[in-house]
Amino acid sequence: MHDERPLITPTIAPVIAARGVAKSVGSGRGARTLFRDLDLSVGRGELVAVIGRSGSGKSTLLHVLGGLDRPDAGEIELDGVRIDRCSERELIDVRRRLVGFVFQFFHLLPELTGAENVLLPARLAGDGSSAEARARALIERLGVAEAATRLPGVLSGGEQQRLAVARAMVNEPRLILADEPTGNLDEDSGHEVLRLLREIADEGRAVVLVTHDQEAAALADRVLHLADGRLVP
Amino acid sequence: MSALVRHAVARLRTRWGRALLAAGGIAAASAMLGAAVTVAFSLHDGFERAADRADLPDVIARFDQRDLDTVRQRVDALPNVAGVSYRYEERRVHLWAHGIPEISSGQLEGVQPGRRGYAVVAGRDIRDGSDEAVVEQGLAREWHLHPGDTISFRTSTPPVTADRLRIVGIAVSPDNVAYPLASAPRVWVPYRVVTSFFTPGTGQPVNQALVWVHDPDRLDITLEQARTASFGVGGLVFATRDAVRVQIDQAAGIVVALLVAFSLVALAGAVVMLAASSRVEVERRIESFALLRAIGASPRAIVAATAAEAVLVAFPAALLGLLVGALAARGPADRLLEALDQFPAGWSLLPPLAICLCVIVAVVAAAACWPAWRACRRPVASMLRGGESGSAPRGRGLPSGAVGLGMRMVVSRPVRTLATAAVLAASCAVILLMLALATTLDSLQNDPGALGKRYQLTASGSASTLDAVRAVPGVGAAAQRFTADVVDSYQLGESFQLVAYCGDRLRFEEPQLAAGRRATRSGEAEVGQGLASALGLRPGTPLVTQFAGGGEGRFRVVGIVRAFDNDGRIAYVEPGSRICVAQSGTTVVQLADGASRSDVAAALARAGFPTATVAGVTTRNAGFLGVLAALLRTIAVIDGLVCLYAVVQMLALTAYERRSSIALIRACGADTAQVAAVFAGAALVVTAVAAPVAIVAERALLGPQAADLAATYATISLAAAPREIAAVLSGLLVVAVAASAWVGRQAVRDPIVRVLREE
Repeated sequence: MHDERPLITPTIAPVIAARGVAKSVGSGRGARTLFRDLDLSVGRGELVAVIGRSGSGKSTLLHVLGGLDRPDAGEIELDGVRIDRCSERELIDVRRRLVGFVFQFFHLLPELTGAENVLLPARLAGDGSSAEARARALIERLGVAEAATRLPGVLSGGEQQRLAVARAMVNEPRLILADEPTGNLDEDSGHEVLRLLREIADEGRAVVLVTHDQEAAALADRVLHLADGRLVP
Repeated sequence: MSALVRHAVARLRTRWGRALLAAGGIAAASAMLGAAVTVAFSLHDGFERAADRADLPDVIARFDQRDLDTVRQRVDALPNVAGVSYRYEERRVHLWAHGIPEISSGQLEGVQPGRRGYAVVAGRDIRDGSDEAVVEQGLAREWHLHPGDTISFRTSTPPVTADRLRIVGIAVSPDNVAYPLASAPRVWVPYRVVTSFFTPGTGQPVNQALVWVHDPDRLDITLEQARTASFGVGGLVFATRDAVRVQIDQAAGIVVALLVAFSLVALAGAVVMLAASSRVEVERRIESFALLRAIGASPRAIVAATAAEAVLVAFPAALLGLLVGALAARGPADRLLEALDQFPAGWSLLPPLAICLCVIVAVVAAAACWPAWRACRRPVASMLRGGESGSAPRGRGLPSGAVGLGMRMVVSRPVRTLATAAVLAASCAVILLMLALATTLDSLQNDPGALGKRYQLTASGSASTLDAVRAVPGVGAAAQRFTADVVDSYQLGESFQLVAYCGDRLRFEEPQLAAGRRATRSGEAEVGQGLASALGLRPGTPLVTQFAGGGEGRFRVVGIVRAFDNDGRIAYVEPGSRICVAQSGTTVVQLADGASRSDVAAALARAGFPTATVAGVTTRNAGFLGVLAALLRTIAVIDGLVCLYAVVQMLALTAYERRSSIALIRACGADTAQVAAVFAGAALVVTAVAAPVAIVAERALLGPQAADLAATYATISLAAAPREIAAVLSGLLVVAVAASAWVGRQAVRDPIVRVLREE
């Protein structure tokens, strides 16, 4: 099934399109360019895996694409919104509506139950009550109904990451950004999470995945290497 | 170990921003402590310092003018007398100086050679036989007088004569508060100046004896013998050094007590915050501790290095804070002391401030060392695996929105939350007490009703003119109030005031009954708590008095009342006693319903009865009490800043400790207001716990205790009123909102990405 997917930039309107993006870290003589003149386009239903060596700037790329960080140069258009030009207030709205993040260390809030963690982005967007059914459905679908009633401290890594995936999806964003989502999981749990991300992409969302995991790369529609500041197939 | 200390110094150098932040907190707490200690210590020892420096006599005897030889003969016969100086004091002298309008309440003290009982603080003392004067410091300050200036005086009755004296010195005598708190400014002049001017041709008259005794513990016996030997000496009144101190302590004692409470609250707040921030810091550094352990450092060495780092930060910060606090408080404290005719603490403040410095540094070091010690006692492998496990999440029943999340965050740290709530509750209880006390002072100062007085005006008149007063429009009722200064026949040093009405007393004056019943029959008395306490009176005991003009009165105490007049040293007796005929009295006027006090006063004046408005008991010292009330309210505001500091610190710690959670919710789309709402939830929990505790603590504990301190001679209620409680609750709300907004704003300044990467 996956072999039929295009391996090049989709021809339909992309969910996210980055053109000529550059980003450096540090300043003065200690400045280091992570990437420059970087182009990337991810369409609906596409799962793109970005791989590269540690410190190559993969996570930074993800942060820039999701509006958590700003590029030094270039354009980034997310669902028609030029996020490189957005004010901080506009970026907050972008993060609420258009992007869902999945992190390596899950980042579930320890005081909230699994279900409350899933609902958190909806509540922040002022959509708590109407999102409850959506959250319940996601939790059921991801098979974490029982875990959702408990606090994260007593859950396994796999359960926590599945809840984190549900949280990323609760506001029905167009783009899911996953930063090493299997990096802290055992093989079975990692496989389960990757399968979920694949399903999410298949439902029509754009998914960008930063990983070292070969299995993850194998599931992706496209695999891009970030090396020497450039993104290459 | 020296390597570890070098490591600590290096850490401070590289993380100077965080060190500066910690130092700022320590400096702020130290400044509060320094200010409180400065005022408290200055007031606490002020009287003794001034009394010692002025060589204040153990007792000052005032009496009607007598020949010096007669008085000396009696005094010389007394045992236990170490020294005595005689004076002639002339009151109600008209005084003026260049460019200063004349006042008629001056007091000229004609001093004889010998011990003075005052301390010259500028210039020099007068030379006997000269035309020189030493003026009291309060007068010099008010009139801008300096040594070298002149001061003039004149008689008030014809033939009016005047004289002018050269001021050679400025002095302080702590047996009374300073002018203008005391209405009569004092000028010390050579004995000859006063007697030749006011009592020419009367030999060597004196009306005051300053007595120093060998054994102050036996002063009571000396006074009793003096009273016995004083036959024929009229108007004898003793003012002992202890009595002066007690009176001043009653006023200053409560301020000192409140300041001590305030200092303790500030210190407790600082300790809680420092301990909590140290714990967070240690949790962050546990892996570096583990590394040091792994390469051979002992737990003791690591703790010592941690202590050294803490001391390096705390010592300069605490020193700076204490100095700033002490310097800031010194001005107001010195002004208050000057108003009390006392001396600033000066260098004697250094030891208590040094103790504070040691305590603060020790507290900071202990707060840093304790969590480090606990961490370092764990196995190295366990330390290397990571920080201490976070506390178990709590509060699942709470809401799950931004506010609820903040609530859950602080509930998950119960010890810290309770400690912060305790600091907040203590601060708020002190604030409530200060506001209640300030309100009480205001009401005592201005509202005669608060003292049980049911009349609003007094008029000059006699029993025979009562009907004329009653006929004036707007007068509801009028009666004649008689007073007499008397002494107890058994304890001659105890003077007090007798009050009687020839009419229905309770209609005009009804101080609250504390014990027993009202005096209704001739020969019965209700006594104030101050008098009851001084003489050991209770219902059923006899009260035998000696009148100034001779003669004795016998009464039976039937009730104890809560009276403020004359410090509660007062007795209400029923007419039929000799007091009604012995004294001329004052006409007291009760207004008719709806009558205007000013209109009635004007009508009475037109009818030939000049009036005076009845105010609170403290009108005489209104300025002083105004200063006290303002001081209390100022401290309440500063204490409010302590609350703000405590809440901000707790929220800042929460923000620091939970920065990844904050970053996460920001990554999920939380804006600044929602981040602030998280902290508002946290603040709400602490304030919700603190507020009821503060109210209960003030009403049940602090208020009653402070009421006892404030006035042993009367009962006042210092329980916070609803208005004050509402003010404090509103203040708490403002503090919570302001702190949440500020910390929330700071929290969103951290780039989300950087925080997430740190984890």
